[in-house]
Amino acid sequence: MIFSFLRASRFFYLSAENFSLPIVESGNVFNSKLLSTMREIKVKGASSICSTNFSDEETHAPQTEFGNDDQNSSLGVQFTPEIEKKYVHRVYDAIAPHFSSTRFAKWPKVAAFLSSLPLGSLVLDAGCGNGKYLGLNPGCFFIGCDISLPLIKICADRGHEVLVADAVNLPYRAGFGNAAISIAVLHHLSTESRRKKAIEELVRVVKKGGLVLITVWAVEQEDRALVNKWTPILEKYDEEWIGPGSPHERSSPSSFKLESIPETEENSLGHVRGFKESSAGRLRETTCQSEEDSAASDNARDVNNQQEYFVPWHLPYHRAEVSGASASALANGLAKKDDKKGAVVYNRYYHVFSEGELERLVSGMENAVVVDRFFDKSNWCIILEKTS
Amino acid sequence: MRLLTHNMLSSNVKGVTNGFPLGIEVEKVVEKQVELSADFLINIFSKIEWKALVDASRAVGYAELPDQADASMLDSDEFLRKFHHALLELHLEEGALLCPETGRRFPVNKGIPNMLLHEDEV
Repeated sequence: MIFSFLRASRFFYLSAENFSLPIVESGNVFNSKLLSTMREIKVKGASSICSTNFSDEETHAPQTEFGNDDQNSSLGVQFTPEIEKKYVHRVYDAIAPHFSSTRFAKWPKVAAFLSSLPLGSLVLDAGCGNGKYLGLNPGCFFIGCDISLPLIKICADRGHEVLVADAVNLPYRAGFGNAAISIAVLHHLSTESRRKKAIEELVRVVKKGGLVLITVWAVEQEDRALVNKWTPILEKYDEEWIGPGSPHERSSPSSFKLESIPETEENSLGHVRGFKESSAGRLRETTCQSEEDSAASDNARDVNNQQEYFVPWHLPYHRAEVSGASASALANGLAKKDDKKGAVVYNRYYHVFSEGELERLVSGMENAVVVDRFFDKSNWCIILEKTS
Repeated sequence: MRLLTHNMLSSNVKGVTNGFPLGIEVEKVVEKQVELSADFLINIFSKIEWKALVDASRAVGYAELPDQADASMLDSDEFLRKFHHALLELHLEEGALLCPETGRRFPVNKGIPNMLLHEDEV
């Protein structure tokens, strides 16, 4: 009998970890002493679990490029550019617990979207961070994914269903979810192709009629003082960017030779401290003008469509020591110390979005339509509905 | 990782035509009770690839699901209970998921699958 074979060759045991509800007893309970000797069990005939093709399943659409900027690149849109590895992935890995402790306020517009979903909906949160929105609507089931394992571990510790995955290449089959959300994620993608692909993925994984909510940081920040703390990235080093870059920022096809700028003192007028890159790539950066000029310079930046920034994250020393990642980050020049603030300063890469940019990204999509768009708390937001 | 998630996961390794369903390598399974929601089960049923769920539940030691199922069975409390149990209460804590075409192992640690590809697989 297959069933008795299963009893012999598989096992499961009840664990008291992570839950306070009474344990359901079944005939297959083994006590933990027995199980401690059964560490690894390979499933016999694992290949038998792999079924043949399902003909009714949507096939994964081939990567379509409806932008032009990838045509000269030999690397696919799913290949992670260096700037994201260094200034997104590694940073979030290093700051995860501290970052998580600051992410608790539930944004009303996101909460409203989630609360409006039908009872029993499956919601996919791509780029879920510390899981702030997972489970927000108790009538829905949430599955979160993020590229940062440290952040995902925080979600898992809270009992959420999560996995480590790349928003540009979601490991989900098509049409499964009722809704998907991407909250403050796409602005960390450094090329238009990757941003488009991530949106396509969000639409792909929801069913027909499913909704997708996307929020991203806006160029048009309500708090101008905040923007002055950011470092605009004016030129890009080819290797830093790996191939496709924002086309409108390339003034010539030749690669740029960039120099490091010596560190400048941060002062109360809001000058931005410079930083030194490692020899692998150096970036030119400007210091902000003084307060008197800030309005003019902001206008100049807006006129020039400045959308690429490094945004600092101050990780307090006591937090940095706990994480351990900061020692190597400092050694590599990825982060620097600010003794005055008692913090390790990391820079996060952002492509902030201009008005209408989200709409432009989705305008070529044949299987989704915009059903709502709004500006809220310095974020551009859009809701899409999958139509086919 | 719950079997609900397994039913949704697909190998996205470059060149793979059908990465679903992933094989399951079991090291440690944990059972965690959670409240049953009939609304959710009824909503999700049509999305579930039933054979993959049956095979996966057997892999983790639960053999109560019928080989075939149709929506009319959702009227039965007993069926709902078994469906709920298999879908949401069985967790693969340690093990791996296997790409059906390439055999590529996606590790599962502390209940968390890692589906990130290496650069040469993208």
